[in-house]
Amino acid sequence: MKSLKKLTTTLLFAWGFSLGFQAPLQAAPWDEEDDSEEAEASEEEEEEDRYLAIVGGDVYTGLGGVLRNVTILSKNGKIQAIEADPFLPEGTEKVDARGMRVYPGLVALSATNRISRGLFGSVELPEDHIDHEAEGEHHGHFYASLAQSHIEEVGQDQEDHFFDAQVDTDAVDSFDPYSQYLVLALATGITTAEQGSTALKLKRGEIEGVAMKDKHLTSVSFGSPASRRSTREKFERAAEYLREYRAWEDLNDKEAKEPSRKGVDGGTLNILLGRNLARFGANSRDELLGIARLAQRYGFRPVIVGCQEGWTVADELGRAGATAVVTPRSRRFKDEKLVRPGGTSIENAAILHAHGVQIAVTPSNTGFELSGITGRDLMHLPTEAGFAVRGGLTNEAALRAITIVPARILGIDHRVGSIEIGKDCDVILTDGDLLHYQTFVQYAVVDGKLVYDKEDEIFFAHIRPRPELPPLDPVQVEEEDEASEEPSEEEEEQDDEDEGDEDEEDEEEEGDEEDEKGDD
Amino acid sequence: MVGVAICLGLALAGVQGAPSVPAGEPGGKGLAVRCAKALVCDEEGTVIDRAWILVRDGEIEAVGPHGELEVPPDYAILDVSDRWVMPGLIDLHSHRGGTLQDINSPVYQANPGLRVHNAVVPGNPALEVGVAGGVTTVLFIPGSATTIGGQGILLKTSAPDFEAMRVRDPGSLKLAQADNPKRWGYGMNRIMLNWHIRETLRRGVAYAERWRAFEEGRGEEPDTDPQWEVFRDLVARRTQISAHTQVYQVIYATLRIVREEMGLDVYIDHGTFDGFLAAELATELDVSAIIGPRSISAQNKGRGIDHDGKIVGVAAEYQRRGHPMIGFNTDSPIVPQAELALQAAMGVRYGFDDADMGTLRGLTTVPAQTAGIWDQVGSLEAGKDADFLVCPGHPADPRNAVELVFIEGRKVYDAEEGQTF
Repeated sequence: MKSLKKLTTTLLFAWGFSLGFQAPLQAAPWDEEDDSEEAEASEEEEEEDRYLAIVGGDVYTGLGGVLRNVTILSKNGKIQAIEADPFLPEGTEKVDARGMRVYPGLVALSATNRISRGLFGSVELPEDHIDHEAEGEHHGHFYASLAQSHIEEVGQDQEDHFFDAQVDTDAVDSFDPYSQYLVLALATGITTAEQGSTALKLKRGEIEGVAMKDKHLTSVSFGSPASRRSTREKFERAAEYLREYRAWEDLNDKEAKEPSRKGVDGGTLNILLGRNLARFGANSRDELLGIARLAQRYGFRPVIVGCQEGWTVADELGRAGATAVVTPRSRRFKDEKLVRPGGTSIENAAILHAHGVQIAVTPSNTGFELSGITGRDLMHLPTEAGFAVRGGLTNEAALRAITIVPARILGIDHRVGSIEIGKDCDVILTDGDLLHYQTFVQYAVVDGKLVYDKEDEIFFAHIRPRPELPPLDPVQVEEEDEASEEPSEEEEEQDDEDEGDEDEEDEEEEGDEEDEKGDD
Repeated sequence: MVGVAICLGLALAGVQGAPSVPAGEPGGKGLAVRCAKALVCDEEGTVIDRAWILVRDGEIEAVGPHGELEVPPDYAILDVSDRWVMPGLIDLHSHRGGTLQDINSPVYQANPGLRVHNAVVPGNPALEVGVAGGVTTVLFIPGSATTIGGQGILLKTSAPDFEAMRVRDPGSLKLAQADNPKRWGYGMNRIMLNWHIRETLRRGVAYAERWRAFEEGRGEEPDTDPQWEVFRDLVARRTQISAHTQVYQVIYATLRIVREEMGLDVYIDHGTFDGFLAAELATELDVSAIIGPRSISAQNKGRGIDHDGKIVGVAAEYQRRGHPMIGFNTDSPIVPQAELALQAAMGVRYGFDDADMGTLRGLTTVPAQTAGIWDQVGSLEAGKDADFLVCPGHPADPRNAVELVFIEGRKVYDAEEGQTF
């Protein structure tokens, strides 16, 4: 547990610097973390380097580029090379991606705690784990109302995800790395999931390194007039305190009294300092406009969950630098008394995106629905993104909406959410276009380890079994003694296949891929 | 004063002389639709590339390929030559024809006399949204609070008034088995329900037989009893029983009791969980399987269901057992009305082989034949209602938004005027 905390601390720092955030020289009173340990938490004892190569797939980087027929080489869980034919060190494990597409692992926001709690994991939490703060309740209510609108008679398995937003829990303490739901998440292509504002890497059979980032999001309440007032007051007080503190700092006078932090909300302070992102749950136009004004006034970039009427105020939200977490299919009818446009629109995501709002997509049910209703739970996250495309969003932006944008929201975009050299090797291999309903994840790789193979798991192996290709590496076949009986024919075939591959590489290679070898 | 009157008269004459009825609608001139692919959805599953579809007086006049089919010169032309055109989709399990709270009246255990047509609300938003998903015909049925919840009605999803919406009334008699009607009261478990269904159906059939005897000149005229009238339609095969039935054991009871013992037309209107285990018997007895809102079946301890841990697709399992009449439903609002095509997509995702476009058949041909409205809707064949939609590709893909919907030659949805789904 201790080393884990160290790791988290290190990560926080790494993230801070990556954003160009300057830690004040003098430790300010809001710095609660003890950073003296930082130096110690350097490299762990070196074991043997672990290499994994994902060979011959079409790599959809998640940044717009598609690299055809390339190999991703991972060293100790980090992407070291994305090249046509990189040098593969001895003992490199290989995953055959020929004919497949390789995408960044998906990032699921507000995921059910079932992912981490296992098949028999209870959703009931101890009393003291439930945060009755106004914002928590507001958020929980938001999810509850969403859930209700979609479930009505179905019932039973649905309750679990109400808790997610309210629960303030140490997710790792209850993480079950053998959970069947974790396997189903990987089967969907999800390799990172947020639970109660903690970003969890869905490692299988491991706890170490599961917690990627904790409490990057601060829930801000803005629903009722009372909560708006109190939120404005919190921001005003925190901003005032920061001004006083900076002035005091500039004064550099030992006699001068340090400004009091009394009554300053810590979460709000973190938002203003850019350490946390403010997360709002808001759907109606007036709330959204209020949030946009608040954000511009105090200089922060809001994350808005829901954002159903966002398309009516897209310009304002774009100028406020907002990120919208939308469920493209959610439906709310316009209040007919109003003259202005309102209600939901299938074009919401596309319109917001066109106005510079970053789009993340989350399904209406962020749990796993195994009682039979399909297409609207976490197991169909790409389908939900497909509905954003229906409304006019591009396929690329829809992919980003379930990869890099949610990674940014969780503050882990320097590690996951796209396929780039130096990032974590969390990728998925699919048998087709990820956003097509027929596509299945064939393999999932997390931290450079193969953690899911459709053919080896009980759930979906029987659905359109993967066709067998001739082996990737003829040398390996020779070593297997059964195959040695009829070597001549097989080898010939393989040679042909290999030649074919090389030809394709020459033709289709997009020249400008990053070819710097990993930066350790 | 005179001048004004003349002007008015001329203006009126002008209006009458050139009626503003849009092409394709009754009374208007003909409409020729030019498309990349016409998915005819006839018995053979014909697909015509680069086709013309001629519409006149609210009906399909002809369908044929460019160059072969002649387009009369006075026809208005709708050029969607890079789009697919297919018949409007049909949902045989919807509770969204009107007010949701008025379709479950569990005062008595069986209610063959109740009719949901009283609850129809033309133009209600939930149904209008369905139009944007390409759904043009629904079977609006009572809920499943009792074994026999009442009579459903087949409706067009968008029409000016109730009369114009009505395709057939009664659209079906809704039968519900197992779980939901068990909640009616203490002691209502499956054996009681089955006894009760058998008892009710037997009395209804007997009533209808007395009428038939009278009509054929045998016996006295029976008293009219609204509670049992629907059975005259059932016995004469003018309507069917739509059965809320799922789980193998329950579907088995449906097939044996309703189809075999009573000889009534019935179709499975859920068919989920491990219901596909009865697929062979259903095939033998010529009973369609309209599947939904569930699409998959996984281990379910409470019901003793386990497919060796696999997650199986329900439609795929019916197909694997050779069932020839597989359709899809939404049970709207459980799945929103507009997402009927997505139900087919989910069937495919979980193993349904769509090589011969069985999904489209399951959204048009199969439900139309099953509900006995095949002579009127379900395909782009001459003489049928001109209910069709225009889409950039396979409608099951959520990314392909329906762009235009016509019902009886009338344009009822145009995404350019506001995409609602």
